[in-house]
Amino acid sequence: MPAVSVEHLRKAYGDNLAVRDVSFEVQKGEVFALLGPNGAGKTTCVEILEGFRDRSSGRVETLGVDPADHATQRWLRTRIGVVLQELAVEPYYTVRQVLTRNAGYYPNPRPVPEVIELIGLRERADDRIKRLSGGQQRRLDVGLGIIGNPELLFLDEPTTGLDPSGRRETWELIHRLAAAGTTVMLTTHYMDEVEALADRVAVLYGQEIVAEGTPSSLGGRDLGAVTIRFRLPDGVTVESLPVPAVPADDGHVAVHTDDEVRVLHELTGWALAHGLPLVGLSVLRTSLEDVYLGLTRGVGSDAVHGPAVGL
Amino acid sequence: MTAATTPSGADVPVRGSFRGVSDLPLVGRQVYFEQLTFWLNPIGAAITIGFSVVFIVIFESTSRHSTVGYLAHIDLGQYYLPAFAAYGVMAACFNILAIQLVNRREMGLLKRQRLSPLPTWMLLSAVFLSTAIIATIQIVLVILVGRLGYDVHGPQDIGTFVLVLVVGMLSFTALGVAVSTLVPNADSAGPIVSLVFFILIALSGLYFPVKAGSGLATFTDVFPIRHLIVASVDSFNGIPGTSPWNDLLVMAIWGVAGVFVALRRWEWSPKRG
Repeated sequence: MPAVSVEHLRKAYGDNLAVRDVSFEVQKGEVFALLGPNGAGKTTCVEILEGFRDRSSGRVETLGVDPADHATQRWLRTRIGVVLQELAVEPYYTVRQVLTRNAGYYPNPRPVPEVIELIGLRERADDRIKRLSGGQQRRLDVGLGIIGNPELLFLDEPTTGLDPSGRRETWELIHRLAAAGTTVMLTTHYMDEVEALADRVAVLYGQEIVAEGTPSSLGGRDLGAVTIRFRLPDGVTVESLPVPAVPADDGHVAVHTDDEVRVLHELTGWALAHGLPLVGLSVLRTSLEDVYLGLTRGVGSDAVHGPAVGL
Repeated sequence: MTAATTPSGADVPVRGSFRGVSDLPLVGRQVYFEQLTFWLNPIGAAITIGFSVVFIVIFESTSRHSTVGYLAHIDLGQYYLPAFAAYGVMAACFNILAIQLVNRREMGLLKRQRLSPLPTWMLLSAVFLSTAIIATIQIVLVILVGRLGYDVHGPQDIGTFVLVLVVGMLSFTALGVAVSTLVPNADSAGPIVSLVFFILIALSGLYFPVKAGSGLATFTDVFPIRHLIVASVDSFNGIPGTSPWNDLLVMAIWGVAGVFVALRRWEWSPKRG
Protein backbone atom coordinates (compact mmCIF):
# COMPACT_ATOMS: atom_id res chain seq x y z
CA MET A 1 0.00 0.00 0.00
CA PRO A 2 1.47 3.38 -0.94
CA ALA A 3 1.78 6.05 1.72
CA VAL A 4 -0.10 8.49 -0.49
CA SER A 5 -2.38 7.74 -3.40
CA VAL A 6 -4.02 10.46 -5.49
CA GLU A 7 -6.29 9.81 -8.47
CA HIS A 8 -7.87 12.50 -10.62
CA LEU A 9 -7.80 15.03 -7.81
CA ARG A 10 -9.63 18.23 -8.57
CA LYS A 11 -10.12 21.29 -6.38
CA ALA A 12 -12.00 24.43 -7.30
CA TYR A 13 -12.78 27.56 -5.31
CA GLY A 14 -15.92 28.80 -7.00
CA ASP A 15 -14.96 29.35 -10.63
CA ASN A 16 -11.24 29.22 -9.90
CA LEU A 17 -9.60 25.88 -10.47
CA ALA A 18 -6.71 25.30 -8.03
CA VAL A 19 -5.93 21.68 -8.96
CA ARG A 20 -7.16 19.80 -12.04
CA ASP A 21 -6.99 16.05 -12.58
CA VAL A 22 -3.84 15.37 -10.55
CA SER A 23 -2.75 11.77 -10.01
CA PHE A 24 0.38 10.40 -8.33
CA GLU A 25 1.52 7.96 -5.69
CA VAL A 26 4.15 8.19 -2.97
CA GLN A 27 5.59 4.87 -1.84
CA LYS A 28 6.44 4.20 1.78
CA GLY A 29 9.97 5.25 2.66
CA GLU A 30 10.22 7.49 -0.38
CA VAL A 31 11.14 11.17 -0.54
CA PHE A 32 8.73 12.68 -3.05
CA ALA A 33 8.95 16.30 -4.20
CA LEU A 34 6.17 18.37 -5.67
CA LEU A 35 7.86 21.06 -7.71
CA GLY A 36 6.13 24.01 -9.27
CA PRO A 37 5.88 27.79 -9.48
CA ASN A 38 3.89 29.81 -6.97
CA GLY A 39 0.18 29.29 -7.44
CA ALA A 40 0.55 25.97 -9.24
CA GLY A 41 -1.46 24.17 -6.57
CA LYS A 42 1.30 22.52 -4.53
CA THR A 43 0.08 23.71 -1.14
CA THR A 44 -3.54 22.96 -2.02
CA CYS A 45 -2.56 19.38 -2.92
CA VAL A 46 -0.63 18.93 0.31
CA GLU A 47 -3.41 20.46 2.43
CA ILE A 48 -5.91 18.04 0.89
CA LEU A 49 -3.59 15.14 1.69
CA GLU A 50 -3.26 16.37 5.28
CA GLY A 51 -7.04 16.54 5.62
CA PHE A 52 -6.92 20.30 6.15
CA ARG A 53 -8.83 21.09 2.98
CA ASP A 54 -11.64 19.19 1.28
CA ARG A 55 -11.38 18.23 -2.40
CA SER A 56 -13.95 18.89 -5.11
CA SER A 57 -13.59 15.44 -6.69
CA GLY A 58 -11.19 12.56 -7.15
CA ARG A 59 -9.86 9.86 -4.86
CA VAL A 60 -7.24 10.49 -2.19
CA GLU A 61 -5.73 8.20 0.43
CA THR A 62 -3.16 9.10 3.03
CA LEU A 63 -1.74 6.13 4.95
CA GLY A 64 -4.69 4.08 3.73
CA VAL A 65 -7.49 6.40 4.83
CA ASP A 66 -9.41 9.21 3.21
CA PRO A 67 -7.96 12.35 4.81
CA ALA A 68 -11.32 14.11 4.44
CA ASP A 69 -13.03 11.48 6.62
CA HIS A 70 -13.50 13.29 9.94
CA ALA A 71 -13.92 9.97 11.74
CA THR A 72 -10.30 8.94 11.10
CA GLN A 73 -8.65 12.36 11.13
CA ARG A 74 -7.53 12.11 14.74
CA TRP A 75 -5.93 8.73 14.03
CA LEU A 76 -4.32 10.00 10.83
CA ARG A 77 -2.85 13.05 12.52
CA THR A 78 -1.05 10.93 15.09
CA ARG A 79 0.82 9.40 12.15
CA ILE A 80 1.70 12.41 10.07
CA GLY A 81 3.94 15.38 10.71
CA VAL A 82 3.50 18.76 9.07
CA VAL A 83 5.95 21.60 8.54
CA LEU A 84 4.01 24.59 7.34
CA GLN A 85 5.19 27.13 4.81
CA GLU A 86 5.05 29.87 7.43
CA LEU A 87 6.27 29.80 10.99
CA ALA A 88 3.45 29.38 13.50
CA VAL A 89 4.66 29.17 17.08
CA GLU A 90 3.65 31.03 20.23
CA PRO A 91 6.34 33.66 20.86
CA TYR A 92 6.32 33.49 24.66
CA TYR A 93 6.98 29.76 24.98
CA THR A 94 10.50 28.42 25.21
CA VAL A 95 11.69 25.89 22.63
CA ARG A 96 11.44 23.13 25.23
CA GLN A 97 7.93 24.15 26.36
CA VAL A 98 6.39 24.17 22.89
CA LEU A 99 7.99 20.86 21.96
CA THR A 100 6.85 19.33 25.26
CA ARG A 101 3.31 20.55 24.71
CA ASN A 102 3.11 19.16 21.17
CA ALA A 103 4.79 15.87 22.14
CA GLY A 104 1.83 15.26 24.43
CA TYR A 105 -0.53 15.19 21.44
CA TYR A 106 1.04 11.98 20.07
CA PRO A 107 0.98 8.39 21.31
CA ASN A 108 4.66 7.69 20.57
CA PRO A 109 6.51 10.99 20.38
CA ARG A 110 10.24 11.39 19.98
CA PRO A 111 11.94 12.44 23.22
CA VAL A 112 12.03 16.23 23.42
CA PRO A 113 15.82 16.40 24.11
CA GLU A 114 16.42 14.23 21.03
CA VAL A 115 14.42 16.59 18.83
CA ILE A 116 16.16 19.63 20.29
CA GLU A 117 19.46 17.97 19.42
CA LEU A 118 18.28 17.02 15.92
CA ILE A 119 17.25 20.57 15.07
CA GLY A 120 20.43 22.02 16.54
CA LEU A 121 18.82 24.18 19.21
CA ARG A 122 20.39 22.68 22.35
CA GLU A 123 21.96 26.00 23.32
CA ARG A 124 18.64 27.82 22.86
CA ALA A 125 16.33 25.18 24.37
CA ASP A 126 15.25 27.37 27.28
CA ASP A 127 15.09 30.64 25.37
CA ARG A 128 11.80 32.18 24.42
CA ILE A 129 10.88 31.62 20.79
CA LYS A 130 10.56 35.35 20.09
CA ARG A 131 14.30 35.66 20.84
CA LEU A 132 15.32 33.08 18.22
CA SER A 133 16.57 34.13 14.80
CA GLY A 134 14.36 33.49 11.76
CA GLY A 135 16.40 30.46 10.79
CA GLN A 136 16.25 29.02 14.30
CA GLN A 137 12.48 29.51 14.37
CA ARG A 138 12.24 27.69 11.04
CA ARG A 139 14.24 24.79 12.49
CA LEU A 140 11.90 24.71 15.46
CA ASP A 141 9.04 24.44 12.98
CA VAL A 142 10.73 21.35 11.54
CA GLY A 143 11.10 20.05 15.10
CA LEU A 144 7.35 20.42 15.64
CA GLY A 145 6.82 18.45 12.45
CA ILE A 146 8.88 15.50 13.64
CA ILE A 147 8.10 15.52 17.38
CA GLY A 148 5.28 13.00 16.86
CA ASN A 149 7.67 10.50 15.23
CA PRO A 150 5.58 10.53 12.04
CA GLU A 151 5.35 7.78 9.44
CA LEU A 152 4.69 10.44 6.83
CA LEU A 153 6.13 13.93 6.96
CA PHE A 154 4.76 16.81 4.88
CA LEU A 155 7.24 19.62 4.33
CA ASP A 156 5.85 22.72 2.66
CA GLU A 157 8.87 24.64 1.40
CA PRO A 158 10.89 23.66 4.46
CA THR A 159 14.05 25.66 3.76
CA THR A 160 12.52 28.93 2.64
CA GLY A 161 14.14 31.65 4.74
CA LEU A 162 17.08 29.54 5.88
CA ASP A 163 20.69 30.52 5.30
CA PRO A 164 22.90 28.10 3.32
CA SER A 165 24.16 26.26 6.40
CA GLY A 166 20.63 26.04 7.80
CA ARG A 167 19.45 24.55 4.50
CA ARG A 168 22.23 21.96 4.56
CA GLU A 169 21.40 21.03 8.14
CA THR A 170 17.72 20.65 7.26
CA TRP A 171 18.61 18.50 4.25
CA GLU A 172 20.81 16.36 6.46
CA LEU A 173 17.94 15.96 8.92
CA ILE A 174 15.56 14.96 6.11
CA HIS A 175 18.13 12.44 4.85
CA ARG A 176 18.34 10.92 8.33
CA LEU A 177 14.55 10.73 8.66
CA ALA A 178 14.25 9.11 5.24
CA ALA A 179 17.04 6.66 6.06
CA ALA A 180 15.09 5.69 9.19
CA GLY A 181 12.05 4.87 7.05
CA THR A 182 10.00 8.07 7.26
CA THR A 183 8.10 8.83 4.08
CA VAL A 184 8.64 12.45 3.12
CA MET A 185 6.54 14.56 0.82
CA LEU A 186 7.89 18.02 0.20
CA THR A 187 6.95 20.99 -1.89
CA THR A 188 9.65 23.29 -3.08
CA HIS A 189 10.72 25.55 -5.88
CA TYR A 190 14.45 25.00 -5.28
CA MET A 191 16.01 22.70 -7.92
CA ASP A 192 19.04 21.92 -5.79
CA GLU A 193 16.71 20.84 -2.98
CA VAL A 194 14.96 18.40 -5.28
CA GLU A 195 18.26 17.01 -6.56
CA ALA A 196 19.66 16.70 -3.04
CA LEU A 197 16.62 15.12 -1.41
CA ALA A 198 14.04 13.61 -3.71
CA ASP A 199 13.79 10.03 -4.89
CA ARG A 200 11.05 11.13 -7.25
CA VAL A 201 9.65 14.46 -8.33
CA ALA A 202 6.47 15.64 -9.99
CA VAL A 203 6.19 19.02 -11.66
CA LEU A 204 2.90 20.82 -11.12
CA TYR A 205 2.17 23.32 -13.87
CA GLY A 206 -1.10 25.02 -14.67
CA GLN A 207 -2.79 23.12 -11.83
CA GLU A 208 -1.83 19.69 -13.24
CA ILE A 209 1.17 17.39 -13.25
CA VAL A 210 3.15 17.77 -16.47
CA ALA A 211 6.14 15.56 -15.67
CA GLU A 212 7.06 12.94 -13.12
CA GLY A 213 10.15 10.84 -12.55
CA THR A 214 13.45 10.73 -10.75
CA PRO A 215 15.34 14.03 -10.61
CA SER A 216 17.98 12.62 -12.97
CA SER A 217 15.47 11.43 -15.57
CA LEU A 218 12.78 14.10 -15.37
CA GLY A 219 11.72 15.37 -18.76
CA GLY A 220 14.12 12.88 -20.45
CA ARG A 221 17.18 14.76 -19.21
CA ASP A 222 19.10 11.48 -18.91
CA LEU A 223 18.52 10.82 -22.60
CA GLY A 224 18.86 14.30 -24.04
CA ALA A 225 21.74 16.19 -25.55
CA VAL A 226 24.85 17.17 -23.64
CA THR A 227 27.03 20.24 -24.00
CA ILE A 228 30.83 19.84 -24.10
CA ARG A 229 32.68 23.04 -23.19
CA PHE A 230 36.34 24.00 -23.13
CA ARG A 231 38.54 27.04 -23.62
CA LEU A 232 39.62 27.45 -27.24
CA PRO A 233 43.40 26.83 -27.37
CA ASP A 234 45.59 29.75 -28.43
CA GLY A 235 46.02 30.00 -32.18
CA VAL A 236 43.09 27.71 -32.92
CA THR A 237 39.90 28.83 -34.63
CA VAL A 238 36.47 27.37 -34.08
CA GLU A 239 36.39 26.27 -37.70
CA SER A 240 39.58 24.29 -37.34
CA LEU A 241 38.21 22.07 -34.57
CA PRO A 242 37.52 18.44 -35.55
CA VAL A 243 33.85 18.68 -34.46
CA PRO A 244 31.19 21.34 -35.08
CA ALA A 245 31.33 23.91 -32.29
CA VAL A 246 30.00 27.36 -31.48
CA PRO A 247 31.65 30.20 -29.58
CA ALA A 248 30.54 30.57 -25.95
CA ASP A 249 31.37 33.13 -23.25
CA ASP A 250 34.81 33.72 -21.66
CA GLY A 251 36.71 32.41 -24.70
CA HIS A 252 35.08 29.03 -24.42
CA VAL A 253 33.46 27.00 -27.17
CA ALA A 254 30.48 24.69 -26.88
CA VAL A 255 29.75 21.47 -28.70
CA HIS A 256 26.15 20.23 -28.56
CA THR A 257 25.78 16.52 -29.24
CA ASP A 258 23.76 13.39 -28.54
CA ASP A 259 26.88 11.26 -29.04
CA GLU A 260 29.24 12.51 -26.38
CA VAL A 261 31.52 9.44 -26.35
CA ARG A 262 32.40 9.71 -30.02
CA VAL A 263 32.76 13.50 -29.93
CA LEU A 264 34.98 13.40 -26.86
CA HIS A 265 37.10 10.72 -28.45
CA GLU A 266 37.60 12.80 -31.62
CA LEU A 267 38.23 15.97 -29.69
CA THR A 268 40.71 14.60 -27.16
CA GLY A 269 42.47 12.56 -29.87
CA TRP A 270 42.87 15.71 -31.94
CA ALA A 271 44.15 17.68 -28.93
CA LEU A 272 46.69 15.01 -28.00
CA ALA A 273 47.88 14.73 -31.58
CA HIS A 274 48.47 18.50 -31.73
CA GLY A 275 49.77 18.87 -28.19
CA LEU A 276 47.02 21.30 -27.28
CA PRO A 277 45.39 21.70 -23.87
CA LEU A 278 41.59 21.67 -23.56
CA VAL A 279 41.40 23.91 -20.52
CA GLY A 280 38.13 23.70 -18.53
CA LEU A 281 36.88 20.66 -20.44
CA SER A 282 33.43 19.75 -19.08
CA VAL A 283 30.44 17.69 -20.11
CA LEU A 284 27.12 19.19 -19.05
CA ARG A 285 23.83 17.37 -19.21
CA THR A 286 20.59 19.39 -19.36
CA SER A 287 20.02 20.69 -15.83
CA LEU A 288 16.90 20.07 -13.81
CA GLU A 289 16.38 23.82 -13.89
CA ASP A 290 16.47 23.78 -17.71
CA VAL A 291 13.87 21.01 -17.75
CA TYR A 292 11.74 22.78 -15.14
CA LEU A 293 11.85 26.12 -16.94
CA GLY A 294 11.00 24.39 -20.18
CA LEU A 295 7.93 22.87 -18.57
CA THR A 296 6.75 25.90 -16.65
CA ARG A 297 7.77 28.88 -18.74
CA GLY A 298 5.07 31.53 -18.76
CA VAL A 299 3.37 30.34 -15.59
CA GLY A 300 2.75 32.62 -12.67
CA SER A 301 -0.22 34.75 -13.45
CA ASP A 302 -2.81 32.07 -12.80
CA ALA A 303 -2.20 31.63 -9.12
CA VAL A 304 -5.23 30.48 -7.17
CA HIS A 305 -5.19 30.82 -3.41
CA GLY A 306 -7.50 28.71 -1.34
CA PRO A 307 -9.97 30.30 1.01
CA ALA A 308 -9.84 29.66 4.70
CA VAL A 309 -11.05 26.38 6.17
CA GLY A 310 -14.07 26.27 8.46
CA LEU A 311 -15.18 23.97 11.25
CA MET B 1 -4.50 8.02 22.22
CA THR B 2 -3.94 4.44 21.21
CA ALA B 3 -3.87 2.63 17.91
CA ALA B 4 -5.81 -0.56 17.38
CA THR B 5 -4.12 -3.49 15.68
CA THR B 6 -5.40 -6.51 13.80
CA PRO B 7 -4.41 -10.05 14.89
CA SER B 8 -1.62 -9.84 12.28
CA GLY B 9 -0.33 -6.71 13.96
CA ALA B 10 -1.26 -4.25 11.21
CA ASP B 11 -2.59 -0.86 12.26
CA VAL B 12 -6.31 -0.29 11.88
CA PRO B 13 -7.53 3.29 11.83
CA VAL B 14 -9.30 4.20 15.05
CA ARG B 15 -12.53 5.99 14.28
CA GLY B 16 -13.96 8.94 16.17
CA SER B 17 -12.44 11.98 17.81
CA PHE B 18 -13.68 11.22 21.32
CA ARG B 19 -12.04 8.49 23.38
CA GLY B 20 -14.19 8.88 26.50
CA VAL B 21 -12.79 9.35 29.99
CA SER B 22 -9.24 8.76 28.80
CA ASP B 23 -9.45 12.12 27.01
CA LEU B 24 -10.03 14.09 30.20
CA PRO B 25 -6.35 14.24 31.26
CA LEU B 26 -5.55 15.55 27.78
CA VAL B 27 -8.13 18.31 28.20
CA GLY B 28 -6.60 19.17 31.58
CA ARG B 29 -3.13 19.20 30.05
CA GLN B 30 -4.27 21.53 27.28
CA VAL B 31 -5.94 23.84 29.83
CA TYR B 32 -2.57 23.99 31.62
CA PHE B 33 -0.84 25.08 28.41
CA GLU B 34 -3.60 27.60 27.66
CA GLN B 35 -3.04 29.09 31.11
CA LEU B 36 0.72 29.01 30.54
CA THR B 37 0.21 30.94 27.30
CA PHE B 38 -1.76 33.59 29.22
CA TRP B 39 0.62 33.95 32.17
CA LEU B 40 3.83 33.80 30.10
CA ASN B 41 2.96 37.30 28.95
CA PRO B 42 3.02 38.86 32.43
CA ILE B 43 2.34 42.40 31.31
CA GLY B 44 -0.69 41.33 29.33
CA ALA B 45 -1.91 39.13 32.18
CA ALA B 46 -1.42 41.88 34.76
CA ILE B 47 -3.31 44.41 32.65
CA THR B 48 -6.13 41.95 32.00
CA ILE B 49 -6.55 40.91 35.61
CA GLY B 50 -5.61 44.25 37.09
CA PHE B 51 -8.02 46.29 35.02
CA SER B 52 -11.13 45.17 36.88
CA VAL B 53 -9.37 45.45 40.26
CA VAL B 54 -8.18 48.99 39.56
CA PHE B 55 -11.65 49.95 38.37
CA ILE B 56 -13.37 48.51 41.42
CA VAL B 57 -10.95 50.38 43.71
CA ILE B 58 -11.58 53.67 41.88
CA PHE B 59 -15.35 53.33 41.77
CA GLU B 60 -15.73 52.00 45.31
CA SER B 61 -13.51 54.79 46.65
CA THR B 62 -15.48 57.53 44.90
CA SER B 63 -18.98 56.19 45.56
CA ARG B 64 -19.08 56.04 49.34
CA HIS B 65 -22.28 57.25 50.98
CA SER B 66 -24.17 57.35 47.66
CA THR B 67 -27.24 55.20 47.14
CA VAL B 68 -29.29 54.07 44.15
CA GLY B 69 -32.87 55.09 44.86
CA TYR B 70 -34.63 52.94 42.30
CA LEU B 71 -32.70 49.86 43.39
CA ALA B 72 -34.07 49.58 46.93
CA HIS B 73 -31.68 52.37 48.00
CA ILE B 74 -28.63 50.11 47.94
CA ASP B 75 -25.22 51.74 48.37
CA LEU B 76 -23.56 52.60 45.10
CA GLY B 77 -20.69 50.37 46.25
CA GLN B 78 -23.14 47.48 46.36
CA TYR B 79 -23.93 48.25 42.72
CA TYR B 80 -20.38 48.49 41.45
CA LEU B 81 -19.07 45.25 42.91
CA PRO B 82 -21.41 42.86 41.03
CA ALA B 83 -21.29 45.14 37.98
CA PHE B 84 -17.51 44.76 37.85
CA ALA B 85 -17.79 41.03 38.48
CA ALA B 86 -19.95 40.99 35.34
CA TYR B 87 -17.31 43.12 33.63
CA GLY B 88 -14.70 40.48 34.51
CA VAL B 89 -16.80 37.87 32.71
CA MET B 90 -17.33 40.05 29.66
CA ALA B 91 -13.70 41.16 29.46
CA ALA B 92 -12.30 37.62 29.67
CA CYS B 93 -14.93 35.77 27.65
CA PHE B 94 -15.62 38.37 24.99
CA ASN B 95 -12.97 41.05 24.66
CA ILE B 96 -9.82 39.08 25.41
CA LEU B 97 -11.04 35.85 23.83
CA ALA B 98 -12.03 37.52 20.56
CA ILE B 99 -8.71 39.36 20.23
CA GLN B 100 -6.77 36.24 21.20
CA LEU B 101 -8.56 34.08 18.63
CA VAL B 102 -7.96 36.59 15.84
CA ASN B 103 -4.27 36.75 16.73
CA ARG B 104 -4.00 32.97 16.85
CA ARG B 105 -5.71 32.59 13.51
CA GLU B 106 -3.62 35.27 11.80
CA MET B 107 -0.36 33.91 13.26
CA GLY B 108 -1.20 30.48 11.85
CA LEU B 109 -1.44 28.93 15.32
CA LEU B 110 -4.98 27.66 14.75
CA LYS B 111 -3.91 26.03 11.50
CA ARG B 112 -0.99 24.30 13.18
CA GLN B 113 -3.22 23.01 15.96
CA ARG B 114 -5.81 21.87 13.44
CA LEU B 115 -3.08 19.75 11.84
CA SER B 116 -2.07 18.20 15.17
CA PRO B 117 -3.90 15.18 16.64
CA LEU B 118 -5.59 17.47 19.17
CA PRO B 119 -9.30 17.23 18.27
CA THR B 120 -11.22 20.44 17.69
CA TRP B 121 -13.53 19.78 20.60
CA MET B 122 -10.57 19.32 22.93
CA LEU B 123 -8.81 22.49 21.80
CA LEU B 124 -11.93 24.63 22.05
CA SER B 125 -12.92 23.12 25.41
CA ALA B 126 -9.49 23.96 26.78
CA VAL B 127 -9.63 27.50 25.40
CA PHE B 128 -13.08 28.06 26.92
CA LEU B 129 -12.17 26.52 30.28
CA SER B 130 -9.03 28.61 30.43
CA THR B 131 -11.09 31.71 29.64
CA ALA B 132 -13.54 30.77 32.40
CA ILE B 133 -10.62 30.45 34.84
CA ILE B 134 -9.42 33.96 33.97
CA ALA B 135 -12.96 35.30 34.39
CA THR B 136 -13.33 33.52 37.74
CA ILE B 137 -10.04 34.94 39.00
CA GLN B 138 -11.31 38.42 38.17
CA ILE B 139 -14.66 37.79 39.88
CA VAL B 140 -12.98 36.46 43.03
CA LEU B 141 -10.52 39.37 43.15
CA VAL B 142 -13.28 41.95 42.67
CA ILE B 143 -15.40 40.38 45.42
CA LEU B 144 -12.42 40.13 47.79
CA VAL B 145 -11.45 43.76 47.21
CA GLY B 146 -15.06 44.91 47.67
CA ARG B 147 -15.74 42.88 50.79
CA LEU B 148 -12.40 43.39 52.53
CA GLY B 149 -11.66 46.94 51.44
CA TYR B 150 -15.06 48.57 51.15
CA ASP B 151 -17.37 46.60 53.42
CA VAL B 152 -19.59 45.43 50.59
CA HIS B 153 -21.96 42.61 51.53
CA GLY B 154 -23.11 39.74 49.35
CA PRO B 155 -23.92 37.87 47.34
CA GLN B 156 -27.34 37.61 48.96
CA ASP B 157 -28.68 35.08 46.45
CA ILE B 158 -25.50 33.16 45.73
CA GLY B 159 -27.17 30.46 43.61
CA THR B 160 -28.73 32.94 41.21
CA PHE B 161 -25.58 35.08 41.20
CA VAL B 162 -23.44 32.08 40.16
CA LEU B 163 -26.05 30.99 37.58
CA VAL B 164 -26.11 34.47 36.06
CA LEU B 165 -22.31 34.59 35.81
CA VAL B 166 -22.10 31.09 34.33
CA VAL B 167 -24.75 31.86 31.69
CA GLY B 168 -22.90 35.12 31.06
CA MET B 169 -19.65 33.20 30.52
CA LEU B 170 -21.31 30.85 28.03
CA SER B 171 -23.10 33.60 26.16
CA PHE B 172 -20.14 35.99 25.94
CA THR B 173 -17.76 33.17 25.02
CA ALA B 174 -19.99 32.31 22.06
CA LEU B 175 -20.14 35.99 21.12
CA GLY B 176 -16.38 36.35 21.52
CA VAL B 177 -15.79 33.48 19.09
CA ALA B 178 -18.39 34.89 16.70
CA VAL B 179 -16.87 38.37 16.71
CA SER B 180 -13.40 36.92 16.14
CA THR B 181 -14.66 35.48 12.85
CA LEU B 182 -15.80 38.93 11.72
CA VAL B 183 -12.47 40.67 12.34
CA PRO B 184 -10.32 40.58 9.20
CA ASN B 185 -6.81 40.85 10.64
CA ALA B 186 -4.74 41.01 13.81
CA ASP B 187 -4.01 44.73 13.53
CA SER B 188 -7.68 45.66 13.70
CA ALA B 189 -8.68 43.08 16.32
CA GLY B 190 -7.89 45.21 19.38
CA PRO B 191 -9.38 48.50 18.09
CA ILE B 192 -12.56 46.96 16.64
CA VAL B 193 -13.40 44.63 19.53
CA SER B 194 -12.43 47.05 22.29
CA LEU B 195 -14.22 50.03 20.75
CA VAL B 196 -17.51 48.17 20.48
CA PHE B 197 -17.04 46.60 23.89
CA PHE B 198 -16.16 49.70 25.88
CA ILE B 199 -18.87 51.85 24.30
CA LEU B 200 -21.53 49.25 25.04
CA ILE B 201 -20.43 48.56 28.61
CA ALA B 202 -20.48 52.30 29.32
CA LEU B 203 -23.96 52.74 27.86
CA SER B 204 -25.19 49.57 29.55
CA GLY B 205 -24.58 50.86 33.06
CA LEU B 206 -21.17 49.63 34.15
CA TYR B 207 -19.89 53.06 35.24
CA PHE B 208 -23.24 54.50 36.35
CA PRO B 209 -26.61 52.87 37.06
CA VAL B 210 -29.12 53.20 34.21
CA LYS B 211 -32.73 53.28 35.35
CA ALA B 212 -34.97 50.67 33.79
CA GLY B 213 -37.43 52.19 31.30
CA SER B 214 -35.18 55.13 30.38
CA GLY B 215 -34.34 55.68 26.73
CA LEU B 216 -30.78 54.51 27.27
CA ALA B 217 -31.96 51.38 29.08
CA THR B 218 -34.46 50.64 26.31
CA PHE B 219 -31.68 50.89 23.73
CA THR B 220 -29.11 48.84 25.65
CA ASP B 221 -31.72 46.25 26.63
CA VAL B 222 -31.30 44.95 23.08
CA PHE B 223 -27.76 43.84 23.90
CA PRO B 224 -26.72 41.20 26.42
CA ILE B 225 -24.29 43.40 28.37
CA ARG B 226 -26.91 45.32 30.31
CA HIS B 227 -28.75 42.09 31.13
CA LEU B 228 -25.62 40.54 32.64
CA ILE B 229 -24.96 43.67 34.71
CA VAL B 230 -28.58 44.00 35.88
CA ALA B 231 -28.99 40.31 36.75
CA SER B 232 -25.65 40.33 38.60
CA VAL B 233 -26.55 43.43 40.61
CA ASP B 234 -30.06 42.17 41.43
CA SER B 235 -28.95 38.70 42.55
CA PHE B 236 -25.88 39.95 44.42
CA ASN B 237 -28.02 42.33 46.44
CA GLY B 238 -31.17 40.21 46.60
CA ILE B 239 -33.28 43.13 45.36
CA PRO B 240 -36.94 42.32 46.04
CA GLY B 241 -39.30 41.83 43.10
CA THR B 242 -36.58 41.07 40.58
CA SER B 243 -36.19 37.95 38.52
CA PRO B 244 -33.19 36.93 36.43
CA TRP B 245 -35.09 34.86 33.87
CA ASN B 246 -35.68 37.55 31.28
CA ASP B 247 -32.03 38.60 31.50
CA LEU B 248 -30.89 34.98 31.22
CA LEU B 249 -33.15 34.44 28.21
CA VAL B 250 -31.75 37.46 26.36
CA MET B 251 -28.18 36.34 27.09
CA ALA B 252 -29.04 32.81 25.93
CA ILE B 253 -30.52 34.12 22.67
CA TRP B 254 -27.39 36.16 22.00
CA GLY B 255 -25.29 33.13 22.87
CA VAL B 256 -27.15 30.92 20.40
CA ALA B 257 -26.76 33.60 17.74
CA GLY B 258 -23.04 33.67 18.54
CA VAL B 259 -22.78 29.90 18.13
CA PHE B 260 -24.61 30.12 14.80
CA VAL B 261 -22.27 32.81 13.45
CA ALA B 262 -19.19 31.03 14.79
CA LEU B 263 -20.12 27.73 13.15
CA ARG B 264 -20.82 29.38 9.83
CA ARG B 265 -17.80 31.67 9.71
CA TRP B 266 -15.08 29.91 11.70
CA GLU B 267 -11.77 29.63 9.87
CA TRP B 268 -8.58 27.84 10.80
CA SER B 269 -6.27 29.58 8.38
CA PRO B 270 -5.33 33.26 8.28
CA LYS B 271 -7.70 35.57 6.42
CA ARG B 272 -4.78 37.69 5.16
CA GLY B 273 -3.79 36.82 1.61
